[in-house]
Amino acid sequence: MGTSLPSKEANLFKLIVKSYETKQYKKGLKAADSILKKFPDHGETLSMKGLTLNCMDRKPEAYELVRRGLKNDLKSHVCWHVYGLLYRSDREYREAIKCYRNALRIDPDNIEILRDLSLLQAQMRDLAGFVETRQQLLTLKPNHRMNWIGFAVAHHLNSNASKAVEILEAYEGTLEDDYPPDNERCEHGEMLLYKISLLEECGVFERALEELQKKEAKVVDKLAYKEQLVSLRIKLGHLADGEKIYRALLAMNPDNYRYYEGLQKCLGLHRDDGEYTSDEVNHMCDLYKSLREQYTWSSAVKRIPLDFLKGEKFCEEAENYIKPLLTKGVPSLFSDLSPLYDHPGKADILEQLILELENSIRTTGSFPGRDQKEPPSTLMWTLFLMAQHYDRRGQYDLALAKIDDAIAHTPTVIDLYTVKGRILKHAGDLVAAAAMADEARSMDLADRFINSECVKRMLQADQVTLAEKTAVLFTKDGDQHNNLHDMQCMWYELASAESYFRQGDLGRALKKFLAVERHYLDMTEDQFDFHSYCLRKMTLRAYVEMLKFQDRLHSHSYFHRAAVGVIRCYMKLFDSPSKSSLEEDDEMSKMLPSQKKKFRQKQRKAEARAKKEAEEKPEEETGATGSGKSGKRHHAKPVDLDPNGEKLLQVEDPLAKATEYLKLLQKNSSNSVDTHLLSFEHNMRKQKILLAFQAVKQLLRLNADDPDAHRCLIRFFNKVDSFATPETESEKLIWSVLEAERPVISILHGKSLMEANDSFLEQHKDSLMHRAAAAEMLYILAPEKKSEAIKLIEESSNNLVTSNGALGPVREWKLKDCVSVHNLLGTVFADSDAASRWRTRCAEYFPYSTYFGGARSSAVSQPAIDKMCSAPENGGINHKAKIEVANTLNGSSIALENLSI
Amino acid sequence: MVCIRQATIDDLLAMQACNLMCLPENYQMKYYFYHILSWPQLLYVAEDYNKKIVGYVLAKMEEESSECHGHITSLAVLRTHRKLGLATKLMTAAQRAMEEVFNAEYVSLHVRKSNRAAFNLYTETLGYKIHDIEAKYYADGEDAYDMRKQLKPKSGGDGKHQHQFQHQHQHQHQHQHSGGCCSHGPDSK
Repeated sequence: MGTSLPSKEANLFKLIVKSYETKQYKKGLKAADSILKKFPDHGETLSMKGLTLNCMDRKPEAYELVRRGLKNDLKSHVCWHVYGLLYRSDREYREAIKCYRNALRIDPDNIEILRDLSLLQAQMRDLAGFVETRQQLLTLKPNHRMNWIGFAVAHHLNSNASKAVEILEAYEGTLEDDYPPDNERCEHGEMLLYKISLLEECGVFERALEELQKKEAKVVDKLAYKEQLVSLRIKLGHLADGEKIYRALLAMNPDNYRYYEGLQKCLGLHRDDGEYTSDEVNHMCDLYKSLREQYTWSSAVKRIPLDFLKGEKFCEEAENYIKPLLTKGVPSLFSDLSPLYDHPGKADILEQLILELENSIRTTGSFPGRDQKEPPSTLMWTLFLMAQHYDRRGQYDLALAKIDDAIAHTPTVIDLYTVKGRILKHAGDLVAAAAMADEARSMDLADRFINSECVKRMLQADQVTLAEKTAVLFTKDGDQHNNLHDMQCMWYELASAESYFRQGDLGRALKKFLAVERHYLDMTEDQFDFHSYCLRKMTLRAYVEMLKFQDRLHSHSYFHRAAVGVIRCYMKLFDSPSKSSLEEDDEMSKMLPSQKKKFRQKQRKAEARAKKEAEEKPEEETGATGSGKSGKRHHAKPVDLDPNGEKLLQVEDPLAKATEYLKLLQKNSSNSVDTHLLSFEHNMRKQKILLAFQAVKQLLRLNADDPDAHRCLIRFFNKVDSFATPETESEKLIWSVLEAERPVISILHGKSLMEANDSFLEQHKDSLMHRAAAAEMLYILAPEKKSEAIKLIEESSNNLVTSNGALGPVREWKLKDCVSVHNLLGTVFADSDAASRWRTRCAEYFPYSTYFGGARSSAVSQPAIDKMCSAPENGGINHKAKIEVANTLNGSSIALENLSI
Repeated sequence: MVCIRQATIDDLLAMQACNLMCLPENYQMKYYFYHILSWPQLLYVAEDYNKKIVGYVLAKMEEESSECHGHITSLAVLRTHRKLGLATKLMTAAQRAMEEVFNAEYVSLHVRKSNRAAFNLYTETLGYKIHDIEAKYYADGEDAYDMRKQLKPKSGGDGKHQHQFQHQHQHQHQHQHSGGCCSHGPDSK
């Protein structure tokens, strides 16, 4: 480095490098400038100066200097290395790899560059290259522990676990017998556990077990030791040993359900379908009885039997389980019981049971058959449980009656209001639900959970501005947008994006959806630092898990929702091009040319001012909202120049944009109906016949009976049939593919589309959504049969639903489905009479629905709210007057004071 | 009712979501990665019957200081899942791992002065004591109690322990400097 310089300058050059490494950039810059004074064309100095400036946020200069440096000294590995580092800092990994490779061509054994290259290869999952680079590093420096480990991990990632084991054992061979010293015991233990997990992965369980037992003393993490041991024991069929270990694990943590499951497996008492013989059930009863005596503190031992017991025994156990929790007042009791509602008959038993308990407490003050008086709160928690039960069963009027009883009993318990909000939401009154959640929120302003719950409800009710104002109460630096965004608060961003989308504000919707996508980009980026960190820390098992997690990052539900949202926005944009840009054009066209010029200048000035203000802002703490001293500090961010996402809407080809996200969905969420529905819509718009057909096939694969799959199938072939006969070669090719494929689709086999639609209807004639789909397709295939199609929908009947074998007073139709049928009548059929008839009918079924204007909804009257808002300071909560709600935001501290007295 | 188990990498997003629902102190995903990739033994979650994460503890080791000790970075339980003793179970699990795996002398944490519920849990149920008060520790200017719980009996008797106690003052000094959450993050070198 700096070889061509005289000694004084060479020393200065060393100083630049050192200053860079110690982040003393100003010092480095000074040194660079004094070299350049004498040698203005010195390539490596120019490069280093550029790299230094890059760290001082002077990017354009940095690139210019680095490039000039390289041009002046193409044979310098330093210049290439620096160029690579520059690209790396901008996440341009592919370019960076190229630069490193050039540097290595000049200096093949440069350890630093090899190490940097290996990190990029790990990041980019160039696994073969990673193995190669790691091998070189080990060859060059075999006395470094990290190089052995790195080489082993590289082979493991490159699907060669047995090679990885060999390398680790060779490394162990280099160690003294008394290794490790005290301060490296954790690391060494981790390495051993990693090696054993590799042996397990290779399927050599005997060897893994032997090795694990041999090294027991050196494995510091005793819990991991036991879990590894039991996993191997079970794979080897040593069930008696397995049982012992699971019992030991339970003694350490009797609340880990996986240990109970493992114990049952070892005892031959585990079935995935949960269907046990009566003999097995008896055995399990005994097992849990004895475990219960051992682990009195564990809630798991009491809860698990409810899963496998049935009938009377279930009822008896459920009673024993529920009663103490009601006495104690455990708010999550219902959510804990709710999985049982999927077991045949259990919901009915629970309903009977809870009603009996309620009755007994009301009449005697005690649980049935007991003398001991219950505290007053027991009745309230019983009502609370009952309300949630009815909510779950869709009996909203009963649910509301019970929760109102509970509130009348004890008006100060916040959980009651939260649950009431949830019931109202399920019943279809989103506005009242939001008001209720706000009521709950005002009762404890210091609790972020009820604040979040309230924000969620407000967003569901499309009160985005109010939701923002409410959320900001918990983000300290005032500029809440950045704050929630910086902290990656994705539920919030998604919920507000979805609300904006519902309201047709595509710009803001897109902006929020893309913000979520951005978090996933950052997470991918986050792994970079750990490629070297974990090799040093030796947390190899966690590291490899993290890499696998990263590889499936885009299948996570938040990402899925964001991508679906983005595609929908772009598709809508394609269907009806951006309003705001049209409006702007419209406004502009009315102006004279001179006015236009002024207008544009004004716009530019405003933008520049905003930017300047942002840059001048002092370095504030914007990183962690968290604890001051333990928060991460960021540089101030530039002001958002497109707060409303208007610029996002100015895309030339929205469908092309959508394609990027569609590909991610197809790759990572191939089992989601949404993915293929979007793919169908997207490719139909793009006239990509074969791709649309692919989507249809995927939909049929997932569920051929799905109404939307049926829609796509019929629409597709109806469209294809309408095309003119093929002329070009490619058209002919497409046709031949479709001709070959069509008979393979069983629904279409030997039938016309109309016949296929009829038989679909016949098969699913009792289902509203299937009838609606068949009706829509009938109308598409034969527009003259419109009235027949509408009749099909209107003649659907809303039957009583059978739940768990018992006929309840609940009807089949879901609110969501009825809303979409209403949309169908209003838009596709464009029949406002039919739509209004449908609305009237549904208002009967869903009296709380604001959408249908149900008699008990807040759209008509506000009994639900008024009842709650008797306190004067809360009287202002009214969905129609948002200003007043804003007032209660300020007034709620008063409410709190009143309550706490 | 609720399963208490070690967190896996797949739990991190849900832990972050749980944190954002409940607490005003929030962290980016990288900080969660940092924890699980440094001390995978010290992260625990509470998972309910519907497989939802309803609570977690995020903890770390302070390795730079002379005395090896654990630190609770963050602990949260959804309001809907109170009264089940989850916080106690999560804390106990993390503390046990600190002692067993890392041989921690004690465990420390910060709590808002105004957070009486948490303060009571720490002092009465879990045996923490106020060690110090950190003025304006939180971003909104509130003070924090710096609390500690001894994991090993203090009277070590051997020279090593005495040596460490002599350095306690110096340690506090260091602690203030090294208190940054992410400043402990892996360097990007």
